[in-house]
Amino acid sequence: MSEEVHPPISILPSALAETQGDRPFVAIVRSRQELCRWLSNPLPGLRWLQVEGMLGDPEAWREAAHGDSNIPLDVVLSDPALEFSHLYRLVDACAVRPIRVTIPAAPGLTKAIRLAAALQLPVRVLPGQPSAAALEELQDALQFYLHEKTVDAPVEFFHSVLANMCDCDTGSLWTILEEDPDAFRHYDADGRARVPRTSGPDQSEITSNGFVRNHLSHLVAQGAECATCPWQRPCSGYFKWPDPAYSCEGVKQLFFNIQTAGNEIRQDVASFTEADKEILSEPREATP
Amino acid sequence: MSERVFSVILLPTSDCNVACDYCFEHKEPHRLSLVLVPLLTRRLLDHIENENIEECEIYWQGGEVMIMGPAWFEDARKIMDRAAAERGRRFVHYLQTNLIGYSPAWNRVIRGMFNNSLGTSMDYPNIHRKLFKGGAAAYTELWSRKLHEAQAAGIAVGVIAVLHKGSLEVGPERFYRYFTSELGLSNFQVNTPFPGGPAHEVEGGFQLESIELAEFMVGLFDIWIAEGYSSGVSVAPFDALIDHFTGEQARLPCIWKENCSNQFISVDAKGTVAQCDCWVTSYPEYFFGNMFQEPDLTGMLKTSRARREFVERPKRLVEDEDCLSCRYLSICHGGCPVRTYSALGTMMAKDPYCEVYKTVFACAEAHAGEILRARAAPIISLRERHTVGDPCVVT
Repeated sequence: MSEEVHPPISILPSALAETQGDRPFVAIVRSRQELCRWLSNPLPGLRWLQVEGMLGDPEAWREAAHGDSNIPLDVVLSDPALEFSHLYRLVDACAVRPIRVTIPAAPGLTKAIRLAAALQLPVRVLPGQPSAAALEELQDALQFYLHEKTVDAPVEFFHSVLANMCDCDTGSLWTILEEDPDAFRHYDADGRARVPRTSGPDQSEITSNGFVRNHLSHLVAQGAECATCPWQRPCSGYFKWPDPAYSCEGVKQLFFNIQTAGNEIRQDVASFTEADKEILSEPREATP
Repeated sequence: MSERVFSVILLPTSDCNVACDYCFEHKEPHRLSLVLVPLLTRRLLDHIENENIEECEIYWQGGEVMIMGPAWFEDARKIMDRAAAERGRRFVHYLQTNLIGYSPAWNRVIRGMFNNSLGTSMDYPNIHRKLFKGGAAAYTELWSRKLHEAQAAGIAVGVIAVLHKGSLEVGPERFYRYFTSELGLSNFQVNTPFPGGPAHEVEGGFQLESIELAEFMVGLFDIWIAEGYSSGVSVAPFDALIDHFTGEQARLPCIWKENCSNQFISVDAKGTVAQCDCWVTSYPEYFFGNMFQEPDLTGMLKTSRARREFVERPKRLVEDEDCLSCRYLSICHGGCPVRTYSALGTMMAKDPYCEVYKTVFACAEAHAGEILRARAAPIISLRERHTVGDPCVVT
């Protein structure tokens, strides 16, 4: 039996996306004109639009609130401390298309996550190699995600890593955060493939498949702490890129807190016995 | 086409047939001429077409709408619905009236245009709603008679009650019994009062102390849960809050929307456009423009400096107030601009009833928790029985 191979989704600037046709791609839009172009006349392969630097433009969000197409949007904040309150501008557009918010681990992250949660917007947090200050924000954001009952929409990467800790195979952070070159191929303005979070001229390592596997193997061979890390599988060296010398002490605490929550969920699920399943399957009277 | 709905609070007249103490509206005899209805309709349809919205809700109120007479509504409906159908759009009409002018002559239009339902208002005790002759007692008597006539005609009637000091004095139990037992209603809504309109001695007395108001609201919530929730009585906004906290789709009132400026406007008989009826009747400094003088409603809403404040308000509140750290932000968003403006002279602050709302939200959350536990109780009970009866299970 042959395994179906999905081509990677290309993530590329709007101008380069015009030639994609029905190949799967994400167009990066940075102006109202680009946004409107793809909303009004999307190519068949367009999966979603990555919207950058446009939260300050109210008119763009009026356009996005039109229901000409239901192309999903991934709205990227570059400075959450300054931009978080602009999320209110997405309210109308949310009614006509799926919208996700992507937020870097930076000052203001928790504010942006709180407001996104209040607006029922799913979130993708890009941790990169977080500084001490960013780690504090990540810890606060994680506590909010794990314990605030009003949170409905997923906050990635917490959500999928938590699922991973509960025996669901959600892949590694590279996949969860759409940075695995085998599944998501990022291109720069010159059309060159890039590994996310790097800008140097030598990008040859992603021209072959298996970047993440090779990266982790290399780290282990070099004696990095990944070799004995209990969260090697969900991480796969994510936090050791691009700087392999990055200390994972802080991110391990993050994983530990997610693991603890995962353990609690597993215990709850385990207490849900086979007998309970039988009881639930019995017909019962409606209750108020 | 978008699933968004655009709503218009349409005041075909600001004239009124009663003399309530706390009315914030400038009562003017001006009435919307049928000659202008096609133009009004065209402007609204142009706008929802620009916004790619299929449906426009029209909330007819005044002033007092029944002053216009049923024949006027029949004609207005024909003009509006025909024009909408020609453009593949739809108007849905709702009626809010004081009922004083109700007679069986209205039944046909209420059935045909308003889905055989209407909204009206009454307080308990009624101290402030008055007829020009006869005062509050006569108002209550006449209104009650009209209510029963409408109910007898098969019209579904919902009642809005504005709380005042007298309501707090009689307490939530008598208040609840009045609407359910005495009036036989199964659907009513409680609104918090606010001193709308120009400064006015009587109106100034309508702002209630938060602690007393919160206690009343919680008491009323408790009674409704104990007696009404399971027996089909709907009390807004409590029912929507229970929906929200039990994970159901909830239709929360406009005061707790993400941003009311996104969802509705109000238009008066002269074509004045403002955020809602409170603004269009009371605060000229916040008019967005005039629909009969400006050809493009979409453009007006986009460029109005007055409207920009409404649009920016929730954003400012999460920056400047403590709303962002409130666990109820998702169901409040800083509350109502007009309640804030009328109390504080600015809308760039959170609703002065913030503490009341938080108390009510916490009460709703607690009741919803009990409801969810009650729903699970048969499973837990069965589980215990299975466990006791199963010798393999060590307890």
